[in-house]
Amino acid sequence: MTNPQHQIMDALDVETFFVCDTEQQGRNLMLSMLKNWGFTDVDIVFAQHIGPGTRIRGRAYAYRPSDKYTWLLREAAKGEQA
Amino acid sequence: MKKVVILAPLDPVHDIGLKMIGRGLNQAGHEIFLLPPDLTPDEIVEMIFSKGKVDILLVSRTLGYGVGEILARFIDLADAAGLRTNTKIGIGGMAIRPELAAELGFDAGFGPGTTVEEVVCFVEGREYHPDPFRSKKGKTDMTANYDYQYRHSAIGEKLGRISEMILDWVKNKTSPAVKRAKLRDELWDVERWRKRQGNGDLYNHYPQLCSEIPQKYYTTGELHPKTRRFTMEEVRGLEKYLEETKARMSVLKLQHTRKKPLVFNQYGTGCPFMDVGHILASEAWGADGVVHFDPSWGARTEGFLDGFLTHQEDGTVITPANLNRIHGSLEKSTLWQVRAHRGLNTPETVVLSGKIGADLTKINICYGALGAGTDPERMTVDGYHSILFAKKYNMPFDVVTNEELAGVPAYKAFAGMLIVSDLAVRLGARPILQPLFAYSPEVMIHEYMEDNYIDFNAGKIFALRNIINAPIWPGAPIGFLTHTEDRVQSATTTALHACLAMALEVDAISIASTDEAYSGGPISVPAKIDTLRAVQDSFRFFGKAGIQPTHQADKYAEQITIGIEKVLDDVLATGDFVTAIHKGVLGSREEGAYPGRTGKDTVTTI
Repeated sequence: MTNPQHQIMDALDVETFFVCDTEQQGRNLMLSMLKNWGFTDVDIVFAQHIGPGTRIRGRAYAYRPSDKYTWLLREAAKGEQA
Repeated sequence: MKKVVILAPLDPVHDIGLKMIGRGLNQAGHEIFLLPPDLTPDEIVEMIFSKGKVDILLVSRTLGYGVGEILARFIDLADAAGLRTNTKIGIGGMAIRPELAAELGFDAGFGPGTTVEEVVCFVEGREYHPDPFRSKKGKTDMTANYDYQYRHSAIGEKLGRISEMILDWVKNKTSPAVKRAKLRDELWDVERWRKRQGNGDLYNHYPQLCSEIPQKYYTTGELHPKTRRFTMEEVRGLEKYLEETKARMSVLKLQHTRKKPLVFNQYGTGCPFMDVGHILASEAWGADGVVHFDPSWGARTEGFLDGFLTHQEDGTVITPANLNRIHGSLEKSTLWQVRAHRGLNTPETVVLSGKIGADLTKINICYGALGAGTDPERMTVDGYHSILFAKKYNMPFDVVTNEELAGVPAYKAFAGMLIVSDLAVRLGARPILQPLFAYSPEVMIHEYMEDNYIDFNAGKIFALRNIINAPIWPGAPIGFLTHTEDRVQSATTTALHACLAMALEVDAISIASTDEAYSGGPISVPAKIDTLRAVQDSFRFFGKAGIQPTHQADKYAEQITIGIEKVLDDVLATGDFVTAIHKGVLGSREEGAYPGRTGKDTVTTI
């Protein structure tokens, strides 16, 4: 089966609200979650901590420009499916 | 063939969607029966049998809670009652997803966004093909209805004298860029090159006019360190991807009941393949045009590389092969702009993009010299020839005023824009004015937007319209420095600025993605789609309704107009356009504008 992450054109943005005490905690939670999902190129696009927690937008790049994109290399993707 | 269709809302109250579909089916000549809401599944089945022969049952469900369970029970009941022997059952509504419908065994599932035509096709047993005419788009020449006549005669007269000054100054001057552009213009046959019949004599002369990086490339084959060639596998992958995507491609139209503004967004990930992916998504979600963004080092390099190259950082390298591949991927309706406004390859960019098929380019001598680091003498010579080539290749160009972002006041940036525009009109070209819609340093310092973001931006448009009858394309992107990294805030501010542009009836806008303010990596496709969707919905919201600036907008317009005239007087008093740039008349060091040094002492006399 095709790895869904390989079909991401460039980046995955994840937005949520973490119940936490500080913005830094929220940032750490997001980065940790994205890494747990198997992404390595991860960052925080936006984070805002007010009162009960952190509103956050995390990003994982599946591909950076100039990488070899599996969504483009269909033959390679088919090979994986087989 | 006429069908008997029963429409049954499996829901306590909601039946609007079914009523709309019922009207469409009625118009298509089918016999329809709309059942009242809040019937139980047993009652619905009973009523169907009471009608005799029923070809199609369309059930709707709006409420999401318990939807899977309710629908499963309904389809079981329909099976048990033998209803499905002669009757097809479709399910639709806000709570429905096609995959849920398929999983439960319905004959069709229609989720949010379904068109009436889609359901009519299901009823009639036809395959649904989106109406190509509904989304049919064509290219628009935004300069077509403008005569460039001055409404402010004193400013027009002063601009005329400055243009004469520039024409006199450039008449016996050239530069390496002008020479390369002329070689590209005279010796490079794009059709022969596309047929793989080579570059003619171009590269017998070209490398000598280049700086170190391109020279190395032409003599040893060595590439710029941040670039690599594509593999054959990647090229084949692109061809297949394009073939498959194009076969199912359709494009949205963002405008609702107005025709303007056209909406552009920028690409330039560094990789032409990723660019193609971004462009296809932009087109599909409604962009009318796309703008090619090149790397900053390209502006400081004399000459282009060749070959099919990808780049690891921002900005996609301009080479014939890169531009040609990107051009080949564009929808026929998409306007394609290749920026040439700054740097050492300005005239050749115009020639190359013109030969390959660009619709628009971007040129501004003043911004190139004050905000983008190119020597003013060099930029003036190159800009003049760029304008001539833009005319030759039939490419209107915007005259960007991004020096405002460095801190130059709008009236000074506008004076520079109008100088270049006047020169262009005199040379027979078609410039497009590009004021910024931005929360610029000038605005912050003077608190011009203390109350709202409308008046100063509107004042800019009023000022320009009071001066000249010319197309206006705010950019780039609109809302610059109002965006944050928050996706919702960013999409909102873009949409609001787009609506202001729409209400002011400008010709086009350039919009950002919702990661415009994020500096940690390349912009992403979903972030582009965010703003396209936001702009589409905001255009839908306003329709032909407007936004009313306060009286302050007129005051800003007057202030800007007076400022422009004063700057033009100062340029004339200096007696020389290039000297005026050096002296800060069009933007001073104190304001954040520094005359560029790249290409210094490279202008020669013929």
